[in-house]
Amino acid sequence: MAPQLTHPDIQSLLGAFALDAVDDDEASIIEIHLTECPRCRAEVVEHREAASLLSFTGTAAPEGVWSRIAAGLEETPPPFQLARPSAPVRPLAFRVMAAGAAVAAGVIGVLATQVVRDNSRIDRLASIASRHGVDQAAAAAAIAPGARKVHLSSNDGAQAVDAVVLRDGRGYLIQSHLASLGRDQTYQLWGVIGAQTISLGVLGDQPAITPFKAAGPLKALAITVEHTGGAVAPTTSPVVQGFVST
Amino acid sequence: MKNTWSDSSDAALVIAIGRWSEEALAEAYRRHGGAVFALARRVCRDAGISEEVVQEVFVKLWTTPDRFDPERGSLRSWLLAQTHSRAIDRLRSDSSRRTREERDVSRTANAGYDVEREVWDLAVADRVNDVMGDLPDLERRAIELAYFDGYTYREVAQLLDTPEGTVKSRIRSGLKRMRADLVDAETGQPWHHS
Repeated sequence: MAPQLTHPDIQSLLGAFALDAVDDDEASIIEIHLTECPRCRAEVVEHREAASLLSFTGTAAPEGVWSRIAAGLEETPPPFQLARPSAPVRPLAFRVMAAGAAVAAGVIGVLATQVVRDNSRIDRLASIASRHGVDQAAAAAAIAPGARKVHLSSNDGAQAVDAVVLRDGRGYLIQSHLASLGRDQTYQLWGVIGAQTISLGVLGDQPAITPFKAAGPLKALAITVEHTGGAVAPTTSPVVQGFVST
Repeated sequence: MKNTWSDSSDAALVIAIGRWSEEALAEAYRRHGGAVFALARRVCRDAGISEEVVQEVFVKLWTTPDRFDPERGSLRSWLLAQTHSRAIDRLRSDSSRRTREERDVSRTANAGYDVEREVWDLAVADRVNDVMGDLPDLERRAIELAYFDGYTYREVAQLLDTPEGTVKSRIRSGLKRMRADLVDAETGQPWHHS
C-alpha cells in the first residue's frame, strides 16, 4: 500500500530524496509534491548542489569517453524538417511552460521521467494525476516503463506541445500551447518513421489530450496547420516539432 | 579540447548545445566530465560501466538540453544528479548488491576522501575534505552510504543500527550544513563559470 505522507513527512525526506535514497513509492509522492511546493523544490535544489560538491574531485574528463560521445553525435539525426523551417534552431524554449504551467502538466512532466517497477505504482500515480484533470490513460502512459516525453516547440519558443510516446508506438499529446486557428483550419499531428512522414491524426483547432498510434519507431513529431479535414501529406511548415529521444 | 567556448558561462554553453554546437558540448564535457566520471566510478565501482554512464549523461545533454533549467541549479549539479540516478540504477540492479551489503560498513563509510589534487581549484577540494571531516560522524556516514554506496535511508538505518527517522534528519541536516559551509560562505559556486 502506498505510504501517506504529510508535508512534514515529505520535508523530512528531502535530503534523502536529493541523494536518490528514498523508496520508489516515496520518491513518486515527493516528485508530485515538488510540482506544487516551491519551497520544498528549492530545498531539493540546494541539497543537490551540496551533494554535487562531494564529486568535486577535479579529475580530468576521460578523453576516451569523449571520443565515443563525439562519435555518437555524428549519428544524431539532423534537425527534423517536414518543410524547411525558418532557422536551424532546436527547441530551446526551456521555460515556455514554467510560468503559469498547469499543475497537471507538471505532474506529467515529472512522471514521464520515471521508470516504473510495479503496476500498483502506475495505478496510484495515474489516480493522483487524474485528480489534477489529466486523462487517466495519458497519465498511466506518462509513467509507463520506457515512456519518453517529447517536447515539441516552435522555433521562437512561443508555441509548444508536450507528448508522451510509449515503446509500442502508442502516445498521447498531453498539453498544448498553440495559437488559435481560423475557421477553416486544423492542427494535424505527424510522425517521422524512418524516412517517411506519417499522419498521426487531425487535432482540430484546440488540441486537447489526444491519443495516437505510430506503426513504427518514431524519430520525431511535428504539428502543422492544414485545411479542415486534414491532409495526406503536410502542406505547411511545422508549427512545432520535437525529436523522440532514443 | 580548448575551444572558443572556454570563457563562456555554463548557461551560454547549454544554449549553444541547443543550437547543435558540438564545441559547446565538448567544453561542457571538459568542465564537468571529470566530476561526472568520478561520481559514476565512485558509485558503480567499475570503470567500464562508469564510462557508459558518462556517455549517457552527455548524450542526454546533447539530445535534450531543454531538460536543464538554470533556475533550478547549476549545470554541474544537474549533470551530477543525472549521473547519480543512472549510477544508482545500475548499482541497484546489480545482483552483487547482496554481497556489498555484507561489507565492512566502517570501511565503506571512511573511504573516499582522497580528493584528487590534480584539480584546477585545489581550494575547493580542500574545503570539501575539511567540511566533510567536520560533520558529525553520523551525518557524514549516512550521507556517504546513501550518496556513494546507493543505499536507501532505510538501509542506512539498518547498517548503522540507527532509527530511520534519525537517519533522515541527519542526512538533511548534514547536507544543509555542507551547503552552509561550502556554498553560502563562498562568493558563489566554486566551479561556476560566470
